[in-house]
Amino acid sequence: MSKSYRDGLPVTSEEFVHQLMRLRRGSIGRRDFLGLTGLGIATAVLGRELGLAPTPARAAENLGDRMSIATWPNYHDPATFENFTKDTGVAVEVNVFGSNEEMLAKLQAGGSGWSLFVPTNYTISTYRKLDLIDQLDMAKLTNFDAKSEDARFTAEGTIEGVVYAVPKNWGTTGFAVNTKKLTKPMTSWKEFWDTAMAEGDGRTMVHDYQLTTIGNALKYFGFSFNSLKPDELAKAEELLIKVKPHLFAVSSDYQPAMRAGDAWMTMCWTNDGAQLHRDIPEIAYVLGKEGGEIWTDFYAIPKDAPNKPAGYALLNHLMNPQVAVKEHIANGAPCTDARVNALLPKEVLENPILYPAAELLTPLEFGAAATLTDPSRAELMARFKSA
Amino acid sequence: MPGSPLRRKLLTTLLLAPAGAWLIVFLVLPFIAIIIFSVGERAPEGGYQAALTLTQYANLPARAAAFWNTLILAPVGAFACLLVAYPVAYYLALKASQRWRLILLALIVIPFWTSLLMRTYAWMYILGGRGIPTLLAYVGIEDLRLINTPGAVLLGIVYGYLPLMILPIYVSLERLDRRLLEASADLGAKPVSTFFGITFRLSLPGVTTGFSLVMILLLGEYLIPTMLGGGKVFFLGNALVDLFLQSRNWPFGSAIAVTLVLVSVVVLIIANRVSSRFSGARQVDLI
Amino acid sequence: MRAFIAAVFAFLYLPIALVVLFSFNAGRHASELTGLSTQWYGKALSNPFLVEALKNSLFIATTSAFLAAVIGTAAALGLARVSPRIRAAFDALLGAAIVVPGVVIGISTLVALVQLFDAVNPMLASIWPGDAPPRLALGYGSIIAAHGLFSMALVSMIVRTRLGSLDRSLVEASSDLYATPFTTFRSIVLPQIMPAVLAGFLLAFTFSFDDFIIAFFVAGSQTTLPIYVFASIRRGVTPEINAIATIVLCASVFMVLLAQLLLRKRTPSH
Repeated sequence: MSKSYRDGLPVTSEEFVHQLMRLRRGSIGRRDFLGLTGLGIATAVLGRELGLAPTPARAAENLGDRMSIATWPNYHDPATFENFTKDTGVAVEVNVFGSNEEMLAKLQAGGSGWSLFVPTNYTISTYRKLDLIDQLDMAKLTNFDAKSEDARFTAEGTIEGVVYAVPKNWGTTGFAVNTKKLTKPMTSWKEFWDTAMAEGDGRTMVHDYQLTTIGNALKYFGFSFNSLKPDELAKAEELLIKVKPHLFAVSSDYQPAMRAGDAWMTMCWTNDGAQLHRDIPEIAYVLGKEGGEIWTDFYAIPKDAPNKPAGYALLNHLMNPQVAVKEHIANGAPCTDARVNALLPKEVLENPILYPAAELLTPLEFGAAATLTDPSRAELMARFKSA
Repeated sequence: MPGSPLRRKLLTTLLLAPAGAWLIVFLVLPFIAIIIFSVGERAPEGGYQAALTLTQYANLPARAAAFWNTLILAPVGAFACLLVAYPVAYYLALKASQRWRLILLALIVIPFWTSLLMRTYAWMYILGGRGIPTLLAYVGIEDLRLINTPGAVLLGIVYGYLPLMILPIYVSLERLDRRLLEASADLGAKPVSTFFGITFRLSLPGVTTGFSLVMILLLGEYLIPTMLGGGKVFFLGNALVDLFLQSRNWPFGSAIAVTLVLVSVVVLIIANRVSSRFSGARQVDLI
Repeated sequence: MRAFIAAVFAFLYLPIALVVLFSFNAGRHASELTGLSTQWYGKALSNPFLVEALKNSLFIATTSAFLAAVIGTAAALGLARVSPRIRAAFDALLGAAIVVPGVVIGISTLVALVQLFDAVNPMLASIWPGDAPPRLALGYGSIIAAHGLFSMALVSMIVRTRLGSLDRSLVEASSDLYATPFTTFRSIVLPQIMPAVLAGFLLAFTFSFDDFIIAFFVAGSQTTLPIYVFASIRRGVTPEINAIATIVLCASVFMVLLAQLLLRKRTPSH
């Protein structure tokens, strides 16, 4: 385990030199350096004893020793949090969710315990309306630079001029196919659903998430991804109920099953598609030519966050382009921040999974706020699952 | 006579008050709360909104599949449990030596101390692609799918509830008067007729206790279908959790919860009736 | 017959063996065995969230089982002294506490407590003299209460069965000899029902320690070990979890053996 300055333990000489080099490179601040190497406590104690400093060195902001973040499956580089813990002494607990509805339900019930979470673009206005998230104190997010963000993806974080959420990355929702098991090339949602009931019988997964599962069933008929029209939803439900017995599972965490070979085809987000294809080249990522979802995930801080200082500290850490670039290489989704893109290797920037051709991108739709809270879609999904 | 009537009454009240208060605050009040919720409406953004309507109950048929899954898989699961448990209990009570009996009994109880979650997770691995299907691929059986099937859920049920079925049957068999068995054999009865005429009949109280215990627990099962059914084999418990944690329809969830309680009570009454009929005068109260 | 028994025990222990085996995995995932190592035991014990979840579970299970043992036993003793009408009412409620599925207990307690807190917290805030009024919230208290409900009913049931077979002539003899009711209770009744109380306590402890579904709803922002394990299954289980499960298993097997040994020493004739 890493030594944090909170332990007050001496560091090894290698560690000291390493931290000193980081200080010189400027990747950590002086106070962090003093803290990490244990010199902070020594100076503070000495200073206090000698009456030099009125308060200990790091009393400015008490970050506590732990915090929780709510996010999506396979969404972060574990090293990101380990490094954050090393730098600040704050341990990070990662909670994983499969849908925005699940996150919303947890926040609505109160006492979620999260100090940071990752909502998707179309949900932010509802969180704002229900008064569940905080206005962000931009002074604490010194690493964030609004000018380097691609406004096309980041607008929904700001409501009436007030910033409630800052972007993490954007992406698309398509499907992943194991091309060794399902050899017929596929390009559309129609083929996805038809294959699920034929060659892919018992081997196909859909999200445990009404937005995408219902949305992509609507696409089978060429309806809007966000449709709330009863007759269109009825057709989508008919399709879903028909497909249900042929599915392998209804779950938003499909990577384990795809990797183990239990599932051959799954509804899939860009980042998972990129990760799967990187590790198992025969798994391809396909965007339905009828369209589907394009999304941006944001970071936001719940109103009842138990440790806001640590939430801000972690968020600021994640906004550091040096950190974000590693996050993006691990996560695999395209980034909204030009500073990060400048640091990404060429093969990432040219990956067609991340940056699909224009004719595939054009028909995609962002989720709509009404789709999140619409009771008929929620009930349709629940009926589908219990069918 | 110990103490005056007044003191006696005071002591009785003191003994019963904590339990009574607990039952009222954490059983009766919550139940009243969900009854009130169940006649309410879903708020526009999800949750609960006060109303007086029976819409939620009228909507119950929308979960018919989950109802049937539960009402079919619970007795089937309990019965499968019984089939596996009975020989084990029989062996423990009547065949095993004193020493082995203690060891085996301990071995039945020990799994209770490892989290059921972890053990079920181990089954996810065993039944999943890297487990048995990989082994079977070596002998030429390709692409067999075990996980996320009703069979996997049934296996998880038998696994999780087996000890609960074995113990009551064991207890009733252990109390059995062995002289009856000897007498039956001496009178020339065949082992099979001794078994059905005496042993099985006398173990019925244990069988019905175990069976209704497992049944009742299965009616509200959530974890096993979630983990081994892949969100495909839905129990009422799963439908219920889904309504609270995904679709945020608290009133409808409350209506299902009320219904689930009623179903449990009915099942229990039937089980008690059946048990008293089978075991004659020997009434076995589960509760 | 023997082969069948052996197969059943293999079936019971195969998953446990796997859990233990993977706790010694060198790799990061609990699904691929890549080598042997004990590193995850160290990691598990230095993971603050896992250790806290374990501590919470131990605390909650001990407290709820203790309360259940005391209150359940008191109720069992009290019920022997009341009219059949009151007894029937208690019987119905205690029975319901056992029969109502855990998922319903969890949800109804959540619904009721959230409403209660929403009503009480503003009142507390308005009458509180200081700046930071106490806020009632879900947490230890609600888990202990919800677990204790089931456990208490269980304990009272077990103790009542035991009371039913109690040797009453001793009690009568004791009061004939002018012992105070309390002395009679302490020296005659309590020793006879103690095994039942202890059995109830143990059952209550294991129930609370292993319960997921009730705690899942009423835990608020607290984490118990089963909640932590469930969350880990979603984020990808690391062998840390296997390590903790193995430690818990070893500790409990040790306790069982110890209890057996102590019991045997006390009752040498058995």
